[in-house]
Amino acid sequence: MEKAELYEMFQKGLASVAGECCLASKADLAAVLVEIFRKKDTQEVAIVESPLLKDTGVVSALKAAGIKTDTDYIRKNAPDDKGGVTEADYGIANLGSLVQMKDNVDDRIVETVADVYVGIVKLSKIVDTFDTMIDIMAETKPFPKFAGIITGPSRTADIECVGTVGVHGPRQYSVVVVKDA
Amino acid sequence: MSNELLKQEIERAMDNAPLQRALKNFTTAYPGNRANVYKGYDFEALREKVHEVKSYARDHIDELLDEFEKNATANGAHVFRAHTPQEAFDYALKLAKENNVKLVVKSKSMASEEMHFNQGFEAAGIHAQETDLGEFINAIAGDSPSHMVMPAIHYSKEDVAGLFSSYTKAPEAPIITEEVKTSRRVMRPKFFQAEMGVSGANAAVAETGTVITMTNEGNGRMVGTMPNMHLYIFGIEKFVAKMSDIRYIFKVLPRNGTAQNITTYLSFYTGATNVVTDPENDTKEPKQFNIIILDTPERRQIMQDPDYQDIFCCIRCAACLNVCPAFRLVGGHVYGGSIYTGGIGTLLTSFLNSRERGKDIQNICLQCGTCNTVCGGKLDVAGMILKLRTKYAQEDGLNPIHKFCLDTVSDRHLFHSMLRIASVAQGTLAQGTLTQGQPMLRHMPMFLSGLTAGRSLPTVAPQPFRDVLPAIKQDVPNPKGKIAIFAGCLLDFVYVDIATAVVKALNMAGYIVEMPLDQSCCGAPATYMGDVENAKKAAEMNINAMDAEHYDFIVSACPTCTHALRDYKDMFKDDPDMYKKATELGAKSYDFSKLLSMLGGLPDNADGVPMKVTYHDSCHLKRYMGVFEEQRELLEQTSGVEITEMNNCDKCCGFGGSYSVKFPEMSAPILEEKIDNIVATGADVVAVDCPGCLLQIKGGLDARGLNNIQVKHTAQILVEKREK
Repeated sequence: MEKAELYEMFQKGLASVAGECCLASKADLAAVLVEIFRKKDTQEVAIVESPLLKDTGVVSALKAAGIKTDTDYIRKNAPDDKGGVTEADYGIANLGSLVQMKDNVDDRIVETVADVYVGIVKLSKIVDTFDTMIDIMAETKPFPKFAGIITGPSRTADIECVGTVGVHGPRQYSVVVVKDA
Repeated sequence: MSNELLKQEIERAMDNAPLQRALKNFTTAYPGNRANVYKGYDFEALREKVHEVKSYARDHIDELLDEFEKNATANGAHVFRAHTPQEAFDYALKLAKENNVKLVVKSKSMASEEMHFNQGFEAAGIHAQETDLGEFINAIAGDSPSHMVMPAIHYSKEDVAGLFSSYTKAPEAPIITEEVKTSRRVMRPKFFQAEMGVSGANAAVAETGTVITMTNEGNGRMVGTMPNMHLYIFGIEKFVAKMSDIRYIFKVLPRNGTAQNITTYLSFYTGATNVVTDPENDTKEPKQFNIIILDTPERRQIMQDPDYQDIFCCIRCAACLNVCPAFRLVGGHVYGGSIYTGGIGTLLTSFLNSRERGKDIQNICLQCGTCNTVCGGKLDVAGMILKLRTKYAQEDGLNPIHKFCLDTVSDRHLFHSMLRIASVAQGTLAQGTLTQGQPMLRHMPMFLSGLTAGRSLPTVAPQPFRDVLPAIKQDVPNPKGKIAIFAGCLLDFVYVDIATAVVKALNMAGYIVEMPLDQSCCGAPATYMGDVENAKKAAEMNINAMDAEHYDFIVSACPTCTHALRDYKDMFKDDPDMYKKATELGAKSYDFSKLLSMLGGLPDNADGVPMKVTYHDSCHLKRYMGVFEEQRELLEQTSGVEITEMNNCDKCCGFGGSYSVKFPEMSAPILEEKIDNIVATGADVVAVDCPGCLLQIKGGLDARGLNNIQVKHTAQILVEKREK
């Protein structure tokens, strides 16, 4: 499947669960993140720095924009930070999902406690369907101690069956898909 | 629990306005929402695979348990196999005490509810906090779940506001978004304070030692991420062999459960993941990861019993609840167990929690079979409930009044004599109450009054069909063959006109119809009340009476009878002679519309006079015999007939044979909804293929003074339109 088509499918899948999505080049990633957090009135952001986030200077860009960033002591700091950023290992196009395939507790904390969460995923790491992702998981040996699929903001319909976004996890959920290679 | 108490609980549930509103809203929206998320997916193929991977796991459970334990342990998990809920509880409490746990945060675990985890921990001075919003609401109210996926569906936002106000000691507005925020605010510090998290599994993978949980709110992820100790509790029924197998379960589970493509969080834990043990120093260490597997004798018993072993294939999606007409009326609490509800809940409660409760609640199953059409694990839920009914009847005996009635019905001479007497004796009750030319009983005296709750009843015909048939002139030049009619009780003694129409239609198709006179009740009433003895007696009588080898086909115009005739053979697996005869009878037996369609239908020489028809599908004909297109085609090929489909055309009308007699309070509102759907079409005629549905719907229309809408069997419409 063409990359453009995959992105379009991913965007559609995420939109169907009240998530937002945009496509950015590596060069633009930092600026895009600054723009998202500005729009969402977010002054403090917990970031789990992956090589991609380091290479693209995200932290310094956020700092330059006056946004406080926490890149360590995540368990201590993230609960007080409104925003959070992590990079996912994969995306699933037909669902708009992000996938982690490693035991990194900081990732898990940020992805759960942030109110305004932004996930980053490389376009090359987006697979077409849930089936393809499960094939990858089935072939991953040894299987990582943690794997997780997240699809949109947290939600509930526990009161009167009325769908409501944001319970214990993020209430605002965005993904930036980074064009790579 | 007595039947009277069950009926009181039913009444309470039906008087609970918020529950009724929530159930109606959810169950009305569910079928369409579910259909949307299955677009592009082959549900039948998917659930076939779910059944396959779960059956494999069931049949290899000991190997998988060992493999799982080996792999999970290698990754730092501690696995404990508990043989009783008490053993599981004791182990969990010991873990908590040894680690000085004061607060436990829990995401949903139905297995933990089996061991009364929360109450036990509280008694030991350890607070067990339910973090799922619905479970949290129930915990504040001191209540139990009323739905497996939406546990607090019975509370309104106003109720929740009151409960939250009492919990937080601060005013709470009855606004759902605000209540959700309160839940987040109240729960957030608890996730960080708790020393122990407890989770339930949706699946466990043997080849990797992985446990997997699907949630929406994020509480499950919190419970698995923050506390230093993490305890999984689940039953052996959650196993699959391979990671690749989970795809089927997690495609079906969210689509069937909440009509979602996927839930927000799907988390896989394979051994002891890292946690932050000291936030001040950012110390990261593997958490203490414990797994309790409930491997109880009750679970083993289910797995080894060929009648019930498919229960293992259940993925707890709750689709069987979401489509059940009985559940829609009463919600989960009437099912009694605080854990499992609805169709599958009836089975699980019977085997895992309370035999007595199971025995009571299996009665509220209509046997409409809708659950089977949506079951994610391809279980025959309705069939297993019927087997359970039979098992209880065999073990405990039937209610003496029911037994007396069934004994009477199975004695053809006595039963037919009583019907002939009734046709005379009913005169006073039915005097002056003609509806569409047929006398109706609108009020029954004393303890029989429930029979006419929300509907009128037809009277017994003055002359049974067996006496009428010889007078019908069957003018069939060059007959193509000979068909035996199986009239069943309703066509023989009540709806003689329908039986007459069947004969005339088959004559038009070129066949002579005969009625073997030694036939009697098909035995379905006995079958559906669990009376195997009388069901078999009826089968034997009819197999011999129908003399199938002398006929080309056997026709019945009652799908319940047809279904019974086709299944007789299953009762004679140990009797080769009877089995052979029953097999021939079953193979030649067809319901009227199916048979007429097979024979090429009728020539289009109908009168062409416009007739606006809406069609109601019988549960037995559509879901048990797969016939729903043929009758529509026959009607559409009749000039003048125009079909307008009603909403939920295949939803049960509430008749259910003896169900409408045993539970008129539930049958009546189901009928009410059916009538509303019929009226909304503006049709002049409701076409049916089942005399039971005809009785129910016609009675419902009559009781509401809607006699301008006629109810006719397909055979009647086809013949009347051609005789004019």
